[in-house]
Amino acid sequence: MLRTIAIDAALSFSRMLVAYGCSLVFAIVYGVTAGRSKRAERVMIPILDVLQSVPVLAFFPAAVYFFIALARGGRLGVEMAAVFLIFTGQAWNMAFGVYEAVTTLPSDSTEACAAFGLSPWERFRRLELPASVPKIVYNSILSWAAGWYFLVACEIISIGKSSYSLPGLGSFIQKAMEAADMGGMLAGIGALVAIVILLDLLVWRPLTIWAEKYRFEFTAAAVGESRIFDLYRSTGVARSVGGVVDRFWAALDRPIARIARLPRLSPAGRVFHVLRVLWRTLFVLLAAAGALAILAVIVSFLRPPIPVEVRKIPAALLFSFCRLLVAYVISLCWTIPLSLWVGENDRVARIVTPVAEVAASIPATAFFPLIVFFVVRSLGSVDLAAVLLVLTGMQWYLLFNALAGARQVPGEMKEMTRSFGLRFPARARKAILPAMTPSLITGSVTGWGGGWNALILSEYVTYGRRVYETPGIGQLLVRATVSGNVRLLVWSIVAMVLLISLLNRFVWRRLYAAASVRFRIDA
Amino acid sequence: MLETARATAGEVPRSTEAPAPLSLSLRNVTKDYELPTGPLSVVEDVTIEVAGGEFLALVGPSGCGKSTILRMMAGLIPPSSGAVLYNGAPIGGVNMDCAMVFQSFALLPWLSVLENVQLGLDARGLPAEERRRRANFYIDKVGLDGYEEAYPRELSGGMKQRVGFARALAVEPKILLMDEPFSALDALTTINLREELIDLFRDPEIRISIAILVTHSIEEAVELADRVVVLSSHPGRVLADRRIGLPRPRDRRDPAFNDIVSEIFSLIT
Repeated sequence: MLRTIAIDAALSFSRMLVAYGCSLVFAIVYGVTAGRSKRAERVMIPILDVLQSVPVLAFFPAAVYFFIALARGGRLGVEMAAVFLIFTGQAWNMAFGVYEAVTTLPSDSTEACAAFGLSPWERFRRLELPASVPKIVYNSILSWAAGWYFLVACEIISIGKSSYSLPGLGSFIQKAMEAADMGGMLAGIGALVAIVILLDLLVWRPLTIWAEKYRFEFTAAAVGESRIFDLYRSTGVARSVGGVVDRFWAALDRPIARIARLPRLSPAGRVFHVLRVLWRTLFVLLAAAGALAILAVIVSFLRPPIPVEVRKIPAALLFSFCRLLVAYVISLCWTIPLSLWVGENDRVARIVTPVAEVAASIPATAFFPLIVFFVVRSLGSVDLAAVLLVLTGMQWYLLFNALAGARQVPGEMKEMTRSFGLRFPARARKAILPAMTPSLITGSVTGWGGGWNALILSEYVTYGRRVYETPGIGQLLVRATVSGNVRLLVWSIVAMVLLISLLNRFVWRRLYAAASVRFRIDA
Repeated sequence: MLETARATAGEVPRSTEAPAPLSLSLRNVTKDYELPTGPLSVVEDVTIEVAGGEFLALVGPSGCGKSTILRMMAGLIPPSSGAVLYNGAPIGGVNMDCAMVFQSFALLPWLSVLENVQLGLDARGLPAEERRRRANFYIDKVGLDGYEEAYPRELSGGMKQRVGFARALAVEPKILLMDEPFSALDALTTINLREELIDLFRDPEIRISIAILVTHSIEEAVELADRVVVLSSHPGRVLADRRIGLPRPRDRRDPAFNDIVSEIFSLIT
């Protein structure tokens, strides 16, 4: 079994790596393009906004159909669908991160680039890319967590009569769970958790510290510590990795820089200028065309005959919404007090932050069957199990944003409340909670996004050849997938996306706009 | 200066019933911070005695720990070794007889001017009526009459710091601590605000006994304080403790004023 696990782990990891590579390239190209040009921004950012608020898992069946058709059946199509799904869980927030970094560059630095006559490529290389590094690293951590979450869910998919399965840790765990093989399941989960923790220790934590030097802030922020990072530095690992990256960069940089330096009016320069404009236009057109094509396909499925089950959609949405609301309230009830405590006490912060980071990056999807098994067994409620599952997909976003919010409260403000003798409840009410509000709203938006995703997996769970289900939009969606009812599937997805978009537009965005005026802290 | 200032303003010192003599002192105080590279000493073996009626300025280059000393006096942070004594007894925790004015104003942007000024009064459990009266009184004193309902973001830097002063004065502290109160302001605003600060201290209705100002401007220290303590940097140690005997109001063009400034300046560089 150990051998199977090792091979499966390697396969799953390579899937993640491919998806992440695509996400990284996509994020940098998309983010920089959108960040540089106002015209591109107007098209690209709304698209990204919609993509980000769409529950990825809802699209998985559709993606599988598409890729299997593309690869004319067979494993490659499923493989591509899985990578695509992971990609859709990783790319958007990274692209937003790059876009934010490019648009919030201090104007004196962009002006300096213009004044020194840097070409667009040099500007990218010297300014935009380095300035994006902290955001890229931070979002990469989130993206990997999301990637694992989806990986577990997408290595096995059944549509209609056919069931596709990819060898990997996710399918290993799912097969164990379908066979009710507790030992195998625990071994699979153990391997997954071990990989996540190792990645965090060996890669992400050192990278986070390295990324600090690219931060555009002049106040001394608390830089975390990592023994591993110190080890990399003292043993020369950091230097040799840096050497490889540098050589790779130089190989890429030299030819492009030579092209970029061509005088604008020379024949070759003109050609490249035209190419560049073409590329930019093409990119924007492609993005728009892709969006339109997807829209057209969706509309074709919405046309009559309308399946009868569509009548159930409103009630299903309501049930699911209530489940999310309960999970949201539970999340707030523990994340806010914890964040306040962490904000008050540095020692607690040093313990809680890394623990929370690791806990959040362990994919809860791997635990779903276990949770269902125990909750249904001991409490007899599928509903409660569904709420708990949604909670696992929602709470971390709230926790991280609440923690970040509590950390952002300026030191002088905290000292001020203490020096005037405000005790803890008053201090939280008057100073810290208001200061945290914008972050909490951001966390709520992403948390609800994660919640909707988890919902799809929460209302219909298979464990040991038994299906545990509870009425909701997730149940409807999975049932439609399992029975191969594509029209119902599309109707459910559209209804769900519509509700999410409406909530974002009319609740969260308004709240955020109000909060960012009232609760902004400007130095 | 508080006594001297009043004397030059032609006033009789106000103490009819003898107030208990106030004292604030640091005895051999050291403050270390734990860094990954080992402990870093920010303040080392500092002894300062401040008596009631004194205006003390702490000057020194950045990194001399002057703000740290101020925070230890307020009881916001404990010393690593040594003792901070208030009226002869070691302070444990925040000293409620102190009020502090901050470099970045530390106003709460979601509260109005009135609510910001009332903040310290809320913590002291005063009745609502009295809180309002006092807050309005001190808002008037700092010249912000009519801005009670404004929010900090609608105010200029100078006005924000006036709110900071009003908030500190409103708790009617015995000790006023000021952490570089003017360094976030432009030069002209600073000059005006300094003069108003001198006027405030002359005001018989403001009963502050000890004032401590942290600044990196030697001129500011010499203009305002009765006594200047000069600190060295990395770690902070007392280099000199000098009484400023110049008569008030002080004139920056006075050669004696400049002599003192250059004397302190040569100590630091």
